[in-house]
Amino acid sequence: MLAKQYRSFKHDLDQRGIIFSFSGYLSEEILYSLGNALRQKMTLEDANITTVKKVFSVFVEQAQNIIRYSAEKLSGDAGQTIELSSGMVTIGTENDRFFIVCANVVLATDEPRLRQRLELLRSMDRDAIKAYYKEQLREAPEEQSKGATIGLIEIARRASEPIEFDFDPIDDQKFFFCMKVSI
Amino acid sequence: MDNLTIAATERSPAVDFDFAAGRLSLKGESYPEDASAVFGPIFSALETFFAATEGREVTFDFDMAYFNSSSAKALMNMFQMLDQAAASGCRLTVNWFFAADDDTMKEFGEDFSEDLDHVTFNLVAVE
Repeated sequence: MLAKQYRSFKHDLDQRGIIFSFSGYLSEEILYSLGNALRQKMTLEDANITTVKKVFSVFVEQAQNIIRYSAEKLSGDAGQTIELSSGMVTIGTENDRFFIVCANVVLATDEPRLRQRLELLRSMDRDAIKAYYKEQLREAPEEQSKGATIGLIEIARRASEPIEFDFDPIDDQKFFFCMKVSI
Repeated sequence: MDNLTIAATERSPAVDFDFAAGRLSLKGESYPEDASAVFGPIFSALETFFAATEGREVTFDFDMAYFNSSSAKALMNMFQMLDQAAASGCRLTVNWFFAADDDTMKEFGEDFSEDLDHVTFNLVAVE
């Protein structure tokens, strides 16, 4: 029964073209290891260097967004302060293209701003995204940002199609956020 | 001033600043958890160096294979600092190395160079 259950689970992932999928508490070390495995896999399959770079870049920005912004966190002190963020990163292929999906819990108070930023990026063409990226690169980061406030623009810049995204309400305070990028 | 040498880590670049020789280099990949922790010491060293470097010839080699968005921002700040140093009299040459088939790194080099008015910028394709 056990093997049958997990064979079916694996089969479902394979059917969806998934190369790998990570769900759970994500750390920078896991990001590094998964990222390396991803690059090796793509290189062995002769993907061109620009495609490998684009997929890797979107993967890193998405994983670092989860680590920084997921509302599902576990923190404590085990000799040193440890904070772990939960989320999901999935990479696969469909119609001869790579796709990267990330998902994590976000606070309802953060949802309008995130939605607005993604909608703005969706409304832009390639040249507008590039110009916006260059403009934001010169700006100081926003106060509440732990990064450079340009991760989403970097993702949009590497994408071959407008970013797909969705919010699924969990309760009054939280949404399950999901974003899909095709390369 | 003392040279600045920092070994590369899995997610941060190798720093090799030979101030006496006027030869500075950053090489590798950069996607650290905290970009300010990686770039902070580099900026401090550069500020001290350029404050006392009027009229000198300095070459800065960038040989980056990949960097994330926060590192891109740090690099942009670094280029602004370099252009200022060149504006105040330092003869600065930047070599931006990229693999010949790597469009992403080539484009970053082009983007950064657009802002430089006083630095001599060479885009160097490596076969």
